[in-house]
Amino acid sequence: MKIQIPIGPQHPALKEPISLRMTVDGEVIQNADLRLGYNHRGLERLAEEKTWVQNIYLMERICGICSHSHATCYVQGVEMLMDLIPPKRGLYIRTLVSELERVHSHLLWLGIAGHEAGFDSFFMYTWRDREIVMDLLEIISGNRVHYSINSIGGVRRDIDESQKKKILDSLDTLRERSLFYLKIGASEPTFVARLAGVGYLSKESAVALCAVGPTARASSITRDVRKDDPYAVYDEVPFDVGTADTCDVLGRTVVRVKELLESYKIIEFLMKNLPSGNITVKAPRKAKPNEVISRYEAPRGENIHYIISNGTDKPERLKVRAPTLGNYAATIEMLKSGFIADIPLIFAAIDPCICCAERSVELVDARSGDAKTVRMSELRNKANERFKKDPPKRNGIWPF
Amino acid sequence: MRPAAFVPELLRHIFKKPATVEYPYKKLGVPKDFRGTPFLHPELCIACRACERDCAAEAIEITAVNEAEKRFQMIIHNDRCIHCAQCVDSCPVTPVKAMDIDMRYENADFNRHVLKKSWVFVRAVLKPKVADAGPKPPTS
Repeated sequence: MKIQIPIGPQHPALKEPISLRMTVDGEVIQNADLRLGYNHRGLERLAEEKTWVQNIYLMERICGICSHSHATCYVQGVEMLMDLIPPKRGLYIRTLVSELERVHSHLLWLGIAGHEAGFDSFFMYTWRDREIVMDLLEIISGNRVHYSINSIGGVRRDIDESQKKKILDSLDTLRERSLFYLKIGASEPTFVARLAGVGYLSKESAVALCAVGPTARASSITRDVRKDDPYAVYDEVPFDVGTADTCDVLGRTVVRVKELLESYKIIEFLMKNLPSGNITVKAPRKAKPNEVISRYEAPRGENIHYIISNGTDKPERLKVRAPTLGNYAATIEMLKSGFIADIPLIFAAIDPCICCAERSVELVDARSGDAKTVRMSELRNKANERFKKDPPKRNGIWPF
Repeated sequence: MRPAAFVPELLRHIFKKPATVEYPYKKLGVPKDFRGTPFLHPELCIACRACERDCAAEAIEITAVNEAEKRFQMIIHNDRCIHCAQCVDSCPVTPVKAMDIDMRYENADFNRHVLKKSWVFVRAVLKPKVADAGPKPPTS
């Protein structure tokens, strides 16, 4: 007998609202369906009403964890539109912050993985070590979460010798701790047994479903924007793309720890080869009519911003493709033929950021299957009409 | 592979101090470049409205109180402020900027209207440029 189980939009296993509908046969998931649109904030529309400078801070607030990713991706696009070439020192500092962000994001994810696998002491220790990176980011930029280090044409703050020394000193502690976590991840049998073989995604389906970031790299695909299409100073920095061939959650853990170690290498290189000079160039207020695509390797995968300018000081259109959206199709594939108990683990393994990925609301008629994109006001009117007509609790059949 | 690989680490931490700080009683310091609450040096402001134009949260409001006397009022809505310090960067007054940001971060209140800060000031006049006007702050 097949039963459909709804998980979410509000569920203890999920940190953000998303609706997963599982068709299960006993314990085994036969089919999965994702429903989005519970966290739509209308950011793209808002961006069209703000100036290029104001939008840096708006883009930063798409996501709390990859705030620098979205801001840099946007700023790179705007620099292309305005034909600006940021100075080398500015790009080095921008790359430094992006690598520190990757470190803090991956340490956060490691903790989440430990928590979802029932290894809560691992979660507490990784998060304690994450504080080192957060403090470094606060020293460099003046804030722990929204660094606001980018300006159009460079960065806003310079780093001095004492900050440089502090970063290099902290790297030693971080590297030592990361190696310890890699050892634990590989030698603690309960942890390995929980992660190995869960959420299998073969290389062929990862390619077919356009998986991005560590999810793709754990299926032995060497896909990394930093290598494939180098932005900022990644063409000068020596680093390797970490991959794993186990195609499961354990592989994704290993890829992330490998990336941590690569990030320490990059930070060390950046700090030792920091050129002198200006950190920013002056940007014009307006951009010529043009369109541009900016790519950026966020900690979760490839982030794409598509910007159209129309000659004014505001963008005509700004489209954001967050990495989580690219991984949804692969998540469904991973969930299939897994167990119900593995859902939080598989879903957490793509490092989902739901509010990043919520872009537009599409209404699908459950009976006829017709899909249609609607405005927020229309959606509100529809909801009011529906609730006036028939309160759902009395004789509701789910889905309403 | 050996079971309980994490135990030595756990045991070691029994004898260590807690990593966290009991916040309201003890406080961690903030770094010197911390972005706290913005404020105005009213004697330096030339009322060019650059900060108002660039404020991402539309938290700055400059209105003319008396046009003839060149008297202006600036209101900073701290309930809307996102502490990005773009106003400080946009301020064109040199060598000391009229907009500045301090290190206060405990701004919470039960009433959002209490967080509003306002200054009434006479517009400053930019002095003619002197060759040795002191070191310029970095144009970041």
